[in-house]
Amino acid sequence: MTTTGVLSAKLWIRRGSSADPCGQRGGHQLLASVLSRGCGPLDHLQLADLVEGCGAGLRCDTHEDGILISLKCRDVDADRLLPALGWMLRQPHLDEGQIELERDLSLQALQRQREDPFHRAFDGWRQLAYGRGPYGHDPLGIPVELEGLQREHLIELAGDLESLGSVLALSGTIPDQAYERLEEWLGSTTSQTNWQEPEAAFSHQSEVDPSAQSSLSLQPLATEQVVLMLGQAALPHGHPDDLALRLLQAHLGSGMSSLLFRRLREEHGVAYDVGVHHPARAAAAPFVMHASTGVDRAELSLDLLLSSWSELIEISLAEADLKLAKAKFRGQLAHGSQTTGQRAERRAQLRGLNLPDDHDKTCLNHLDQLGANDLRDAARRHLQCPQLSLCGPLDTLESLEKQWSLSGYAAGSSHG
Amino acid sequence: MGLCHGTLTAIPSGPVLDHRTLRNGSSLVTAAIPDAALTCLDFWCRGGSAWEKSGEEGVAHFLEHMVFKGSRSLGPGEFDRRIEALGGSSNAATGFDDVHYHVLVPTAESNEALDLLLDLVLDPALEQDSFCMERDVVLEEIAQYRDQPDDQVLQTLLELCCAPHSYGRPILGWETSLRQMDPAGMRRYHHRRYRGANCCLSVAGSIQEDLISHALSSPLAQLALVEDCDPAATNRSALPFRQGRECRRFARLEAARLLMVWPVACADDQLAIAGADLITTILAEGRRSRLVQKLREELQIVESIDMDVTTLEQGSLVMLEACCPDDQLERVETEIQAELQRSLSAEITDEEFQRAMQLVGNGHRFSLEAPGAVAASVGSQTLWGRHRDLLAPLQDLLQWEASSLRDRVMPLLQPQRSFTLIARSEDNS
Repeated sequence: MTTTGVLSAKLWIRRGSSADPCGQRGGHQLLASVLSRGCGPLDHLQLADLVEGCGAGLRCDTHEDGILISLKCRDVDADRLLPALGWMLRQPHLDEGQIELERDLSLQALQRQREDPFHRAFDGWRQLAYGRGPYGHDPLGIPVELEGLQREHLIELAGDLESLGSVLALSGTIPDQAYERLEEWLGSTTSQTNWQEPEAAFSHQSEVDPSAQSSLSLQPLATEQVVLMLGQAALPHGHPDDLALRLLQAHLGSGMSSLLFRRLREEHGVAYDVGVHHPARAAAAPFVMHASTGVDRAELSLDLLLSSWSELIEISLAEADLKLAKAKFRGQLAHGSQTTGQRAERRAQLRGLNLPDDHDKTCLNHLDQLGANDLRDAARRHLQCPQLSLCGPLDTLESLEKQWSLSGYAAGSSHG
Repeated sequence: MGLCHGTLTAIPSGPVLDHRTLRNGSSLVTAAIPDAALTCLDFWCRGGSAWEKSGEEGVAHFLEHMVFKGSRSLGPGEFDRRIEALGGSSNAATGFDDVHYHVLVPTAESNEALDLLLDLVLDPALEQDSFCMERDVVLEEIAQYRDQPDDQVLQTLLELCCAPHSYGRPILGWETSLRQMDPAGMRRYHHRRYRGANCCLSVAGSIQEDLISHALSSPLAQLALVEDCDPAATNRSALPFRQGRECRRFARLEAARLLMVWPVACADDQLAIAGADLITTILAEGRRSRLVQKLREELQIVESIDMDVTTLEQGSLVMLEACCPDDQLERVETEIQAELQRSLSAEITDEEFQRAMQLVGNGHRFSLEAPGAVAASVGSQTLWGRHRDLLAPLQDLLQWEASSLRDRVMPLLQPQRSFTLIARSEDNS
């Protein structure tokens, strides 16, 4: 009763929502959601009985760059559960009724997401930055295209699931002879994999040229606050300038000593929740400042965000700020590898993005070589054209639109 | 297919705990996780919103904000800079019953982090200028929550079933009460609540050799020796609860909600809480649970249906939430009521029982990995006098059988004992 041996397994499949075919946005998410609804020798109820009967957690999440299947269980149950990952990957049933149910649940989830003004603002920003490109839609999909997805579409997508390969990462109490038993758990692949060398990982950039696009998106909504998102599609994870942008992210938005926290919260008291969204992606990742603020202080908040952005390009960080940003970056890596799930996911993610296992260690070794001017120069190369998305009351958005048009970053606007 | 291993880390048993009570009544508890690279220091105080008096609504949470504005020896922002320069992070949270402040740092830095944390929390500056600025931030936080329909629905439900008890009002307080506050009043609240018997320091992770002696001679040991004599402290099962049913409309709701809430045992009755955990798992955790299987999988009339136990010192709450299209609300309510009533007599099968035991048990086992989660769990239990092993909940589970769950817990979760809120969109009215 005191045994707490835990195994975390993360299976990263290099096909995510960015690989959704034209007219089938949401396809990979729908496929992922039905992988656990019947596969191999088990139907959807038998699989649920197996997983829940072991008290395990099994989930399937679709990201832009891949599908991540996560299993967490006690070590004593690993032998019974690990084969399910192989069945999901290689023998999904894709039952018509189960597809219909998941499609309906996805449509309802898309509808419910619209309650959140942050979500609406990010949707607007995503449209500006990526348009109809691979990162241009929510991984859940677009309602009208989701409605049209049928079993034959999913069969086609399932056939391609391993075309770019997949990675299984295990952490915790790992079963003996894991390498030798890989085929026992997962079966053998039925498709040709195409292993890419790390340097090929950032070959595809955003398909949208920001200079040719609108720079402003307005999402009118009867809320008390305005949500502001200012950002740019920046770099793939592992790009030579990625580390510089990660340090800028730490400087701007990580922790209570960060620039945005100090400036918007402590010096002006205009916002509660501020930060920078900068996920790790295979292609140009969002680098987005965000804040929400009362309508009467929205202009001041936008001013503060704009000046914070401009400083990245115009001014080198003070040595103390640079040192602090590096300490935060080191801390983030330590904080992000505390649990078996975190460690397995990071390993799977790195290989999923075709980066070497020692990528984080290499970054730590490079930290000392980066100076404040290097960060400023990286910002000049990659953060010159931010785009703004706003969600809130229409009259406030209109006044902010005028303010934006005078900012020097403006090029056009689109109304949601 | 590529295969890669993460670090080989087994947890053969739960972290070993060491409880100490200081002369002034405050507590120190350590949870050793020898392999952890980080150590979490978590200061807990019986100073949640339930301890606010009339006119103080929101002060517990506002004080939590103000603590981070600096102490008499740490200037504004100095704490954050120094903790983050150590490669650490910090945060805090205010609940109904208690508040806690935590830092997570590399183990070698834990002594310095302890000094910083205790100085910040026990000797806050509470200066007028920063008080006014931070009040604006809290008002923005309130506005941000008001823009989230989910939060509005939940807050309305708590108000309808628990008010005038403190669990029925928002932890963040009201704009009117916040605007009437001043630093002197906040300092009185700090003096009243942040004292010996009300405080606990919890440390989890790798424990430095001299950390315990360092803590024993820290400002924690200098807190005033005053026993808690507030009647609410000893009257822990006094939660008044209003049964009933109401329909409300909410702005910008994109999916209808049905929420039901029931009062159950207070946090001290850990055996009863274990029973509530098992029953809610049988009813609504996973595809094979009764309500999920019936309403989402078979009838396909809900997008989601969840049940949770919120453990509280003056009376815990079981909450059910179903999200569904507006035109399915009536049927959803009927089916939930029927299933709850059926469960009064229907046998809990061996499969259902074992499944619930595994899911709840693993929930406890899986929560023992990260120092932050362990420190929070140990700290909150120790604060309230429950010096229990981290895996003690597994023993509680073993006290239950399928028949006792059905006979003793299921009757508590019947429709007529609940408060039910039907939440519809204003736009459909």
